[in-house]
Amino acid sequence: MKKHREMIFDILLIVIILLVLIPTLLGGIGPLPPREIRPLAKAYLNSTLNIYNKDLWTASPEAVAAIVWDYRGLDTFYETIVFYTAIVSCLILYREILGKRDISKGEGLSIVVKRVTAISLLGILVVGASTVLHGMLTPGGGFQGGAIMAVAPVIAIVVFSRLLVDTSRLSYSKVVTFRNLAILGIALTALIPIILNFGNAFIFQNQYKRSINFSYPAHILDVPMGGSLWFLNLFEGLAVLMAFYLAFNIILYSEEVSKEVILGEEYGY
Amino acid sequence: MLEETIFIIIGLISMISVLFVALAIVSKDLLKAIMFSAVQSTLYAFLLFLLMAPDIVLVYIAISVGLLPLISIVLIKKVGRYEKA
Amino acid sequence: MDIRISMYIATVVSLYVNIALCIYGVISKPNLIKKFIALTILQDSINVFLVLGGYRLWRPGLLLQPPVLLNWSPTSEDLKQFLMKSVDPLPQALVLTAIVIGLAVNTFLAIVIIHLYRHFSTIDVDEIGSMKKVMIVEESA
Repeated sequence: MKKHREMIFDILLIVIILLVLIPTLLGGIGPLPPREIRPLAKAYLNSTLNIYNKDLWTASPEAVAAIVWDYRGLDTFYETIVFYTAIVSCLILYREILGKRDISKGEGLSIVVKRVTAISLLGILVVGASTVLHGMLTPGGGFQGGAIMAVAPVIAIVVFSRLLVDTSRLSYSKVVTFRNLAILGIALTALIPIILNFGNAFIFQNQYKRSINFSYPAHILDVPMGGSLWFLNLFEGLAVLMAFYLAFNIILYSEEVSKEVILGEEYGY
Repeated sequence: MLEETIFIIIGLISMISVLFVALAIVSKDLLKAIMFSAVQSTLYAFLLFLLMAPDIVLVYIAISVGLLPLISIVLIKKVGRYEKA
Repeated sequence: MDIRISMYIATVVSLYVNIALCIYGVISKPNLIKKFIALTILQDSINVFLVLGGYRLWRPGLLLQPPVLLNWSPTSEDLKQFLMKSVDPLPQALVLTAIVIGLAVNTFLAIVIIHLYRHFSTIDVDEIGSMKKVMIVEESA
């Protein structure tokens, strides 16, 4: 039975490779490598920092950030909601032990590791914050900075042991509140043009459009700011950091405390 | 001359990464599988840099070489390290 | 054939081989953590393949450039040069969204694997299947 299964899977592997390889080599996705970029990409690159034709400009020299938060802003908003829902469903599974003190009294690692980690944790947070804040001028942005900053709480729990998390004042309910406020900030940045203009604007609007008299500021002193891109990057970075802190807090509980969640499952309640 | 060098390096890196993926899927010790997958992620990050995509390199290194091996090692500690023969 | 075209095709073929190996790993290995590792490698390979479709052959004499403007008040000539030198920014924007969604699903999957282990105290898919058959037969008896 097992040998038959292995043989069928090996044949399936070869069939998958051949089925996709032959149309590609015969020209299925165009000439390889492509000779010209798409007309849509040319339109986006032409209009993102065009001072002569300000109909569709976004005041940011970085084309990828402009596409993610301005030209295709609604896609990014829905993806943020998918991330939010995934972390909420993680919290639902273990809702009885959230915020409880852990039983095991850990001591953490040796004192050399503790002192070195205390210095480098600050460095990680600063690098992540800087990546979030300059995301409209050079490569960077909300997710990138948030993912860099998310490494810090995990290292803190592993090196300093759970006593640091249990005795700090950054409890679980405060972190959930911060996260909800950050997502609310994103929604408000998208809706403020409509509120301030009594319904005569677009959602996720960035700069002046024809006959609509609202725009986020386009320059800070003399540096292009990208309008609403700066605010959206900031809120997104904070939301991602809080989300990872919550998820890793649940994974790293000890076994005795976590077994209370499935107590009584064999009776059906 | 520069263009041909960059295309040759792109080809070589992707051919080396096939070896590491095969090793990661076949090995029975799960810690070794995680280490092979981390090496393969580093090769992919270099490949993405050569393809001129700097935004994606930042996200990819922070996640694939930092967060995912970390939570996989915690998973192995709680569940069991060796795959059954 | 030109060495640039043959190296590009070799990269496409090796990415296809990676994807097929990972699909084999997800389907045929009975350990849940091996499936999880193969799934993450599969998602990464598909994302790299999408970005590879945005590269282009160089124009003779011009260096290729990522889609970031370096001059903060560009003239018309600067914009024309930028269009001839830059790579495609659309696949990169879509891949950013795909990476974050994949990460959310992987985090949830890790927590579900630990939850399954605490219920059944094993992590082998065949054994969990036979235990569930015993449970269903007992409950309907």
